[in-house]
This record gives sequence, C-alpha cells and structure tokens, in this order.
Amino acid sequence: MSKKIFKKIFIAILIIMLLLAFSKSYSTLNIDNLSVVVAMGIDASDKNHLQISFQFTNPSSVSESGTSEQAPSIIYSVDASSISSGINLINTYIGKSVNLSHCKVIAFSEELASRGISDEIYTLINDTQIRPSTNIIISKTSAREYLENSKPLFENLITKYYEVFSGSSSYTGFTTNATIGDFFDHLICHSCEPYAILGGVTNNSTEYSGTTNSENDTSTKSNSSSLSGQSTAENTGLAVFKDDVLVGELNSIETLCFSIIRNQVDGFLISVPNPNKANSYIDLHVTPLVSPKIDVNISNGTPYITIDCRFTGRIYSMEDSADYLNDNMLNQISNSCNSYLESILTEYLYKTAKALNSDINGFGKIARKHFFTLDEFYDYNWGEKYKDSFFEVTVDSSIRSSSMLTES
Amino acid sequence: MDIAEYLGGKTLKTFIGIVFIFYFLFSSSILLRNFCECLKIVYYPMTSLIFIILTFIIVICITLHHRFSSIAKVNLLIIPLVIISIVFLFIANIKNFSLDNIFPIFGDGLFNTFVTGLGNLGAFGGITLLYFLPPYLKEPQKMKKVYLTSIILGTIYFLLCVSIILFMFISLMYTNQIMPLYSAARYIEFGNFFQRLESIFLLIWILQMICYLTIIAKISLSIFKKITNIRDEKPLIFVFGLLIFAISLLPKNYAISKFIEDYIYQYMVIIVSIFLGIALLGLAYLKKRKKKELNTDVKENI
Repeated sequence: MSKKIFKKIFIAILIIMLLLAFSKSYSTLNIDNLSVVVAMGIDASDKNHLQISFQFTNPSSVSESGTSEQAPSIIYSVDASSISSGINLINTYIGKSVNLSHCKVIAFSEELASRGISDEIYTLINDTQIRPSTNIIISKTSAREYLENSKPLFENLITKYYEVFSGSSSYTGFTTNATIGDFFDHLICHSCEPYAILGGVTNNSTEYSGTTNSENDTSTKSNSSSLSGQSTAENTGLAVFKDDVLVGELNSIETLCFSIIRNQVDGFLISVPNPNKANSYIDLHVTPLVSPKIDVNISNGTPYITIDCRFTGRIYSMEDSADYLNDNMLNQISNSCNSYLESILTEYLYKTAKALNSDINGFGKIARKHFFTLDEFYDYNWGEKYKDSFFEVTVDSSIRSSSMLTES
Repeated sequence: MDIAEYLGGKTLKTFIGIVFIFYFLFSSSILLRNFCECLKIVYYPMTSLIFIILTFIIVICITLHHRFSSIAKVNLLIIPLVIISIVFLFIANIKNFSLDNIFPIFGDGLFNTFVTGLGNLGAFGGITLLYFLPPYLKEPQKMKKVYLTSIILGTIYFLLCVSIILFMFISLMYTNQIMPLYSAARYIEFGNFFQRLESIFLLIWILQMICYLTIIAKISLSIFKKITNIRDEKPLIFVFGLLIFAISLLPKNYAISKFIEDYIYQYMVIIVSIFLGIALLGLAYLKKRKKKELNTDVKENI
C-alpha cells in the first residue's frame, strides 16, 4: 500500500516538475507575448554600426473593421551595434518579444551592402526563427524608406503582399525570387556568388527620353523606372555581390537573362526586331522548352563556357497587315528572336565576367567536375579566373504562331 | 554473448557483455544529448536541457516495462513513418538538388576520402543490434531474411539522407549545422499554402529516437541479465535509465558532445561493432571448424 502511494506521489512530483520546466518555453513562445515582424530593414548608421527597422502588422484590426480596410503596418527603428542588440532594444521598447518566424523580407540598404553584409547574414541564418525562404532585398534608398513605401494595394495584409510579390519573377523574369537561404549558400560556396533582389522607391520625377523604344522598357531597374502609382516601392533588377560586398546591379533585361540561365522563368515577354520592318519591334511570349544546357571547359587555364537554350513562343503583339500564318514569316521571326536572345545573353554574361567579376550563374559548380579534389579547385581560384571566361551562346527558338489573330 | 561464452568461457562472455553494455549506453546517451540540444535550440529555448532529456528517459523507462515483442510492434508502426518521411523529404527537395555538388569527385583528397574517411564507418553503428537480434526472433530460421531486410532498409535510409545533404545545398555540407536534415526540411514549400512542415518531421524523429533508445536499453538490460544470471531485469530499468541520463549530462557543452559523437563514437563503432564483432564471429567459426576436424580425426582413429 505504502509503495503504491509513494509511486503516485513520485509521479505527481515528476509531472509538476516537467510542467514547470516546459511552461517557461511555452510562455516565451506564446502568441500573446510575441510581436510578429513581417519585414526587417537594415541600414548603415552614423551613430552606431546599424540602424535596424522592424515592420509589424496588426492582423486583428482587419477582422475588427471588416475586410475592406488594410491592416496598418507599424515600423520601429533602432540604432544598434548588431542585429541581436537591436532586437533586444526593440523587445524592451515594445514590451514583447520580437519574433522573426513570419519575417518575409529582409532589406539592406545599398550603402551597407557595399561595405559587406556577411556578419549580418551569418547572424540571421543562425537564428532558428528566420526561414531560408525569406526574400533578401538590396534597397537603392534606405531600407527604412523601402519598408515605409511597401504598401499592399490589392491585399489587406502586408504579409500577403510580401508573400506574393516575388512570384512575378516566374512570368516576367525582371526580378527574381532571391532568398536568404540561397544567399547564404552562395556566400560560403567557392564556386558561385550571391545575389539579391534590387529594390527601391519609385522616383516620380524621372525624366523620359521622349522616344518610344523597347530598350527603354527593358533597361529599367529599381529607382530608375518610369513607374508611378500609390505603392512606390519597386523590385526590378538584381543586386550582384562578390563575396559579401555589393559590386553592381542588373537591369530588367539582364535579370531576365539571369533567370533564363538559372532556369527560373516559366515564360516571358520580349520585343525583338521586326525582320520585315526597320526600327520596328514584335512582342513575343517565349517559353523555355528545356533547362539550358551549360558546359564549362577549362582551356589553357581559361574557362570556356557554352550555353545552349531552346525556346518556343507565340507572337503577342499584332499590327495592321500582318501575316503570321506564313511559315517563312515565322522562321524569320524565330531567327530574329534567336539573334536577339543570343546577343542579350552574351552581353549579360560578359558583363558578369568582365565588369562585375561575379559568377552569380553558378558556372563554377559545373567547372568543378574538371578537378579531382577541392584543394585543386581552390588552387585554381575560380573566383578570380571567372573574369577571363569566354562564352558561346546558342539559342534555338521556334515561334509557332500568334495568339487569337493570325492575319490582319 | 553465447558465441563469446563458446569461445572463451564465462570470463570472455562477461568481458564482451560489459564492453557492449558500455558501448550501447554511451552511444545512446550521446545521441540523446545531441538530439535534445537540437530540440532545445529549435523548440524549448527556455527549458533546461536536463528536463528535455528527462522526458525521454521517463518515456524509455515506461516502455521498457513492456515485453520486447510489444516494443517491436510499436517499431513496426513507427519505422514505415520514418521511411515515408525521409522519402518525402527527398522528393519534396528534388527541385533544390544540384548533381554538380558531387564534384570534385575525391572531395577533400584521396587520403581524407579513403583513410581518414574510414571513421565515417561509424554511421553503420546500428549493425551492432543485429548481433543481439536472434534470441528475439519468433522464427530463427528466417534470420537471414530479417537481416537482409534490415540492411536493405537501412541502406535506403542512409542513401536518401546522404543524397539530401550532398545534392541539396553546399551550406548543408560545409557548415557544421546542428541538424542538416532539419535544415533541409525547412526548405519544403508547396506554393504559399504548404509551408513549415519541419515540425511534422521533428515529431517523427522524436518517435524514432524513443524507439531506438528503447531497443538499445532493452538489449543492454538483456545482456546484463545474461552475464549476471538475474531472474528479473525490471528493477534495473530505472538504473539503466538513470545511467543514460547521467552519461548524457556528462559533456560540459554541445562542442564536447559533438566531438564525442564525431570522433570518439565513430572509432568506438569501428572497434566494438565492426572489429570486435567480426573477430568474435571469425574466431568462433575457426574454433568450431577445428573442433569438427578434431572430432573427425578421432572418429577416423577409432
């Protein structure tokens, strides 16, 4: 009898002990004690090393006021020597624990990125709350300004906006879904370099050249586009890094080339020269048929990179007296598309090699097959040899027809 | 144990028994410690490690009160879940795979791959359990089939795990991540709807860990029972539980427990599980053959 009572007391003590032990973690992670950060902005600061901005949202305000109103977003900024100190200060200020597990966007200012952001990236990756799918943005303006101008227009919640904005990369190719997971992976990789989304705030005072030129459309990038609207934050182009330092930017057409080579675009619109009319362009909707075939050879110590792309497409724009049922016409447009894509891809590749010396395409990973050991590969110093690379791009596109109208 | 007794009498049986009990308790404790360190980092930041480990120990001690067949049946439920989860992890991450990660083919060099890399044989530590399986088999004649199935399933599991780590991201290989497969699970996303599936994986791995530790403790208890000839091992369940608990708390920090897992445990597996196990089996076979030859000679002389 006494043995049974002793056993019951022992079990009760054990249960109470475990309840007490685990209640601390429960309290810490309890939703009532958390303030959910939806985006984070990191700027260089004069006072301290960093200025960290946290964007919060109050989803309950939507349900209280009906679904038609947008949930207000709140931004707090703090000057701190590190991200962790910044979080600590904000925790004290708002009286709740900052939780980053729903943080969709981390924006760095261009100024900070130019100094190098490896410490910040390592710290963020070391945090269990930060998800690898969090988008990383390099803002042409300050990161705080970028967050202030990021407003959801078609959604009530800013989180929903951050969730979907990078999705346009799959059908435009003018931006990319750059995540912190990929950034970190490329940062520690000796055979590729990191990249991020180029963000900015629309400058409504941009002056136009006055001429209608498709090159104007495709050479835009964040902070220099002709966009205007209620939401002034934009994400066009790509920020290119060498190790952890920002070394350059890609405009929309160069970002499209990047997306094509990395097979990150499902289909895209391009304007190619009209083979039958000088100074005229035809808009095509082009879809990659297979992922690009990339081969890297090392010839006399110099990388020789060949890229073979295959596309199919349809004519998107229509003009008076067009005849797109003519096989010869379609072949001519296909040839025009081939030469145009070959030219922009080659130009883009030489820019990454000669001007930026940054292998964001990850050709180094393919080049590793020519080496037996990692030491041999490290001795070769791919990071430096990449600038001497030669490229050969072959594009084989087949334009099949137009869309609803075939003749006019 | 019977083979050791056949080979060297009771002394060798006791010695081998103690070696294997130490090996099982030590390896399971370190495994538990490292797993709990991960749990603490991911889910229980404010809970003391002692209580996280204690929870496992309590579950193991309760489970050990049941018969081996009951434990085996629970395993039968959990193992398919584990296999399905790893296959799912592999398939869901295929979009992130890059086959180029396999190059350079000799990695850190020939010496590091083929000589220093021998230490990685420690990953096959689970094979040791096969030495102690025969007494628990309902149909011992099907031993070969059971062993083959276990090895094939284990190999598939290993191949999938290694493939995920190798092909997925360079960061999974080159950074010493606390749980590479957990990191891989964090990348699983199906659109904007299915995200954050890593919690399910962790739940499955917790169940897997409990099953593994229970089997290890049960076998250790049965070895102890054999070398001491005690009638009932139940009073020892809490002693073994406490031993695992105490050993798992020995490393001062994660760096030490990781060092033990990566170096000491690896070589322990090679020495105990591979060399000692195979040497015992080989010597016993030789002894049996010699005895057989002697018997034949005696019969012929007669």
